[in-house]
Amino acid sequence: MNFRKLMATVVVATGGFWAGSAHSEETIVWWDFLSGGDGVRMKQLISDFNEAHAGKIKIDATTLDWGTPFYAKVQTTAAVGEAPDLMTYHASRIPLALTQGVLDEITPDDWSKMGLSQGDFAAATWDAVTSDGKQYAVPLDTHPIVLYYNRDLLKKAGVLGDDGRPKGMESKEAFTATLQALKDAGVQFPLGSVTADGNFMFRTIYSLMCQQGGELMTGEEFLAGDNAGKLQNALAVLSDWTKAGLQSTYTDYPATVALFTSGEAAMMINGVWEVPTMTDLAKQGKLFDWGAVELPVIFDKPCTYADSHTFAIPKNKGKEMSPEKRAAVLETISWIIKNSLFWATAGHIPAYKPVTESAEYKAMEPNATYSSLTANMIFDPKTPLAGIAGPIFDVMSNYFVPTLNGEMEPAEAVQSIQEELNAL
Amino acid sequence: MLQDRRKDLLIALALIAPFVAIYALVFAYPTIQMFRISFTDAPLIGTGKWVGIANYTRLDNDPLFRRAVWNTLYFVALTVIPGTLIALLIALGVSRLAGRLQALVLALFFLPYILPVSVVYLIWDWTLNFQFGIAMHVLDWLGIPRVPVTKSRTWFMPAVAWVTIWWTAGFSILLFLAGMRAIPAEIYEAAELDNASRWTTFRRITWPLLRPVTALVLTIQLILQFKIFDQVYLFSIGGRPNDNMVLVYYIFNKAFQQNQGGRAAAVAVTLFVIIVVIAVLQFQLLRLAGRQRQ
Repeated sequence: MNFRKLMATVVVATGGFWAGSAHSEETIVWWDFLSGGDGVRMKQLISDFNEAHAGKIKIDATTLDWGTPFYAKVQTTAAVGEAPDLMTYHASRIPLALTQGVLDEITPDDWSKMGLSQGDFAAATWDAVTSDGKQYAVPLDTHPIVLYYNRDLLKKAGVLGDDGRPKGMESKEAFTATLQALKDAGVQFPLGSVTADGNFMFRTIYSLMCQQGGELMTGEEFLAGDNAGKLQNALAVLSDWTKAGLQSTYTDYPATVALFTSGEAAMMINGVWEVPTMTDLAKQGKLFDWGAVELPVIFDKPCTYADSHTFAIPKNKGKEMSPEKRAAVLETISWIIKNSLFWATAGHIPAYKPVTESAEYKAMEPNATYSSLTANMIFDPKTPLAGIAGPIFDVMSNYFVPTLNGEMEPAEAVQSIQEELNAL
Repeated sequence: MLQDRRKDLLIALALIAPFVAIYALVFAYPTIQMFRISFTDAPLIGTGKWVGIANYTRLDNDPLFRRAVWNTLYFVALTVIPGTLIALLIALGVSRLAGRLQALVLALFFLPYILPVSVVYLIWDWTLNFQFGIAMHVLDWLGIPRVPVTKSRTWFMPAVAWVTIWWTAGFSILLFLAGMRAIPAEIYEAAELDNASRWTTFRRITWPLLRPVTALVLTIQLILQFKIFDQVYLFSIGGRPNDNMVLVYYIFNKAFQQNQGGRAAAVAVTLFVIIVVIAVLQFQLLRLAGRQRQ
């Protein structure tokens, strides 16, 4: 009897506790795909947020598999009203998401509640979350690709400028000369490139197209007019470097990072998300003197491919979000965005301008050096066919790998790409 | 009596009802739906407009679909018969061992089978890595130029076929061993008395008596390998997905990456028909061959 009474008390007490907390505290179900070094930093931000909002808002976060698995799960759960309250989303995936109807609009009212506006973001970034004049996500960062370099090796080869940056960043000839000088100085791979992964190389190749003012899609047409020629020029530069032995061949992503960090490759084109890898290794005293800068200008003007991590609110079918919950979600987004200085330690460039304009950010290296490129960014073309793991990626990737490794001529690759893209 | 029979029937129905219900819910119903949406332009989730056989007719001029069919058939040719032969050879070897040693050797051959595909992929991806893979060092040592195995059109399918055989042979070996143990020892003793050579013993006794097991292994392998997806998908991430396209990968692409449920269903139905036709043909062929012997 006593035992039963005790149990009853416990049940009532815990039940009362849960009910009590549910009234005063909103729980935000959060999904993200951040599992690397940036995932660790996001978990820190979430725990800081929970501490600052104790008793009011609590984030219940889950990290899912990056890429197709994440997006397939979002789509299927939104269709049955089981999607989270808040999730991370790639800006490049927004056009496809809109055809699937999984994103809720961020209304002008929402923006004013968050205390954010168009002026707080770079024009290209704002445009990437906009469709038909409406916004569907709040940009957290932009993550472009940059050129990493090994100062020790560059100095040895005599191609390190007095400003501590690589020489020959102004033209194709000058940059090729820098690579050649490294080769002559005995560096096995002057440039470490992810040549085994066409998806990855899309970023570099698209940047090089943009440097010639080219575009992938004109209206609904792929590679219209002289754009095919511009793609061919971009591929030719890279395939010439391979033929001259200036670039690592058939190298997959982890191998590229390993070649660079072990000093076998003097430079590497990779995403800013590898910055934490370098900082951490340097902190342990296991890395040479390194730096990261905006991509060299191979053609007419500087231009770099970027994507953006954003926050989006899923459109849950048959399940309306209560105004209280919506307010809590908006507060969450707003707080994380305004505190994204810490997010910058993951290498990403915060999208919120007041953060990148702050003195603390300007003191962060190499972030402050490469963040100038936000003026020259290009995002994926706005079509449901683009974006990570989209069909455009697959078609291109298939021809990039043989071309970049000297198996196929750029002209042949471009012709095949054009045929396949138009058949989509 | 009649009363009893009805009772039996009721009990039988009651006992199989849970299974039938689950089977209908998670297998029969989705299968019927798959046939239905293959005639619509449905996205991955939700319904679409009726488009008749358009999803099927467009497969005819789809170069990627044709490549997927060709690659799937190529993969089946590379794995089914070679895989079965290798398993038979290993089983013959293992059957000559005895006691603990046999158990140990069998366990070693069976070990890869219990690994999940992701682990199998990682082991071989590291082994074959162009810069750091251990296999490349072997090539260097032999003085052969390095080969980017999983990134080349020539070597991709044979490499994946090899990995698949390495991974799945354990199960076939087990089936063959069970088949061999079922052959009575007296027959072999009689053969020995007749002074039959080892080869004759195998050709006249082991091989014919193993026929049902061989047919079973071949059929299981055939159906399994037609459904090839995981290994090809994992090995071609970022690489040359369209050159390595196989049918199930194509279905995955259409449904989950391009959001075209209707077109994906049409490919799935096509694969279903191919497997049914080939499996029935193979079964009939094996049965016919078995009859002729007798």
